[in-house]
Amino acid sequence: MADLVSYIIRKLLLAIPVIFLATFIVFLMLYMTPGDPISQIIPPHASAEDIEKLREKYGFNDPFIVQYWRFLERLFHGDLGSSVARATLNTDIAYLLIQRLPRTLELMAIGLTISYSIGIPLGVFAALKQDTWKDRSVMVFTLMAYAMPSFWLGILLMMALSVYTNILPAEGTVGGFKSILLPALTLGLGNAALTTRMMRSSMLEVKRQDYITQLRSRGLPEREVIFKHALKNAILPVITVVGLDIGWFVAGAVVVETVFAWPGIGMLVTTSISNHDFPAVQGCILILAFFVIIGNLVADILYAFADPRVRLG
Amino acid sequence: MKFRQPMNDMLSSWKMAAGVKRSVLDIIIRCSRNAMVVTGTTIIIIIVSLALLAPILPMADPTPSQLVPEDALLPPSSNHWFGTDELGRDVFSRTIWGARVSLTVATLAIFFSLLIGVMLGLTAGYFGGVPDYIIAGTIDLFWTFPSFLLALAFAAALGPSLGNVILAISISYWAGFARLMRGQALSVRERQFIEASRALGAKNLRIMFTHVLPNCMAPLIVWASIGVADAITIESSLSFLGVGTQPPTPSWGYMLYRGIAYLQEAPWISTFPGVTLLFTILGFNLIGDGLRDVLDPRMKGMRR
Repeated sequence: MADLVSYIIRKLLLAIPVIFLATFIVFLMLYMTPGDPISQIIPPHASAEDIEKLREKYGFNDPFIVQYWRFLERLFHGDLGSSVARATLNTDIAYLLIQRLPRTLELMAIGLTISYSIGIPLGVFAALKQDTWKDRSVMVFTLMAYAMPSFWLGILLMMALSVYTNILPAEGTVGGFKSILLPALTLGLGNAALTTRMMRSSMLEVKRQDYITQLRSRGLPEREVIFKHALKNAILPVITVVGLDIGWFVAGAVVVETVFAWPGIGMLVTTSISNHDFPAVQGCILILAFFVIIGNLVADILYAFADPRVRLG
Repeated sequence: MKFRQPMNDMLSSWKMAAGVKRSVLDIIIRCSRNAMVVTGTTIIIIIVSLALLAPILPMADPTPSQLVPEDALLPPSSNHWFGTDELGRDVFSRTIWGARVSLTVATLAIFFSLLIGVMLGLTAGYFGGVPDYIIAGTIDLFWTFPSFLLALAFAAALGPSLGNVILAISISYWAGFARLMRGQALSVRERQFIEASRALGAKNLRIMFTHVLPNCMAPLIVWASIGVADAITIESSLSFLGVGTQPPTPSWGYMLYRGIAYLQEAPWISTFPGVTLLFTILGFNLIGDGLRDVLDPRMKGMRR
């Protein structure tokens, strides 16, 4: 148990510099942006002197490291700055993010559910039918779904389920629960390919173990051997990587929310980029990166629980 | 006794050359028997040759200076194989020219990632100690940071241009190669032939590039192939979001984005570049997966 605790502490400590890297990158982003950051707040007919005063007032003339430190200080107090886009001028970015966060979270949760409820049965099925045409068709499906960029999958699903058949609403949130199904399905299907592949290889590995042979030789029906004994062990490594899926979902969410005009954080990134609202882009990227870092952490910790060998490494 | 030594040397070097040739030939034969490598290579050869031949193929101009409004939204026909877009431009020629953009960006980005990754990984893994401590920490930082977000942040900040997209993807992707290279270098440097060449007086640089690096080639090639597929995905996603390749330069991601508004009356605007994009990514993935099985069976199932 002590090694597990020290392992978790080690991983937590490692997450701290990564979070700092995230803050540094988003700060650098604003710093590198071509054009004067002051240009958004300059009143019309301002003289060069006035501009210089404004620059001094907002601290844009200070050295890089001082500006970064101030940025960190504000961040530490939950102050992400305010929006400079026309539609949301001077709105607190933290407020914008909190408003949008639930949308992205529910999208990811339903996407994850879809992904696992397709991927796990399909992977088990492929493993049980190893090297038959059924197995091969499942593998071809996963290859295609894995290669498919999420925006293109989204457009295809939109055509199939909305434009031509009108089963589901294509855009926005007006359709209630039905509205979330298309974007969630897009996110889920792409990730289901990964889940299927993992589940299949994990099941194949377990199927070869001695204790499975032993159960069979005792005369247990095959169904019981697979579903009562093998599945339990095979599913473990698949579940432990749920944290890593979050990384996939975050990248997917930015694109998928844009395709379906789903008003989450992903869509806020895209609209903020096109509005040159860089403080908002900073906030979004920071919060999404934070998700992924937490996801990786959860994966590492779950993995250490499942496989004691990792703790030593 | 006097001439035996050179004879032996000649013999062994001849044997070695034959051995190298045989192993390369052997790999090619095994690749040609691997269905994944063959399918992937066929797809990529077709797409690459179309992209290379684009300037001399008898096609419509992908970015005509004079737009013809009457030609807008025409369905596929013998004149326009893939139909025309909302501005009357030929979708077939734009798809082919889009391949040039995507392939150039992806290969250059992976080339730079590979260069940075190999240099840093090799230095860290071979020398160990303080340089390793610093480099390995940096690698871990970038490895944990989500690569798509990193690319998105840089592309958004630097402003949309081809060079910036290449830079953004390279910054977000090098850590994977560095990690791989460092791991390989760590294990190779302990092998006996390294010790032997050091005993013979070989300098560090020579050992690194003539002994350690060649021994790490197999996994690097596999990852580079999969990397090109990933880079194409990132590039097209960035263009889709409007921070990648800018119009009027044809790019698959942006064509798909424009096509959304016309799914009902002109689905071909999105469909054809989308299918080409899918097959290009699939092709590189197949080559990567197949090569991994051929070159290093131990790596099977390493990638999720």
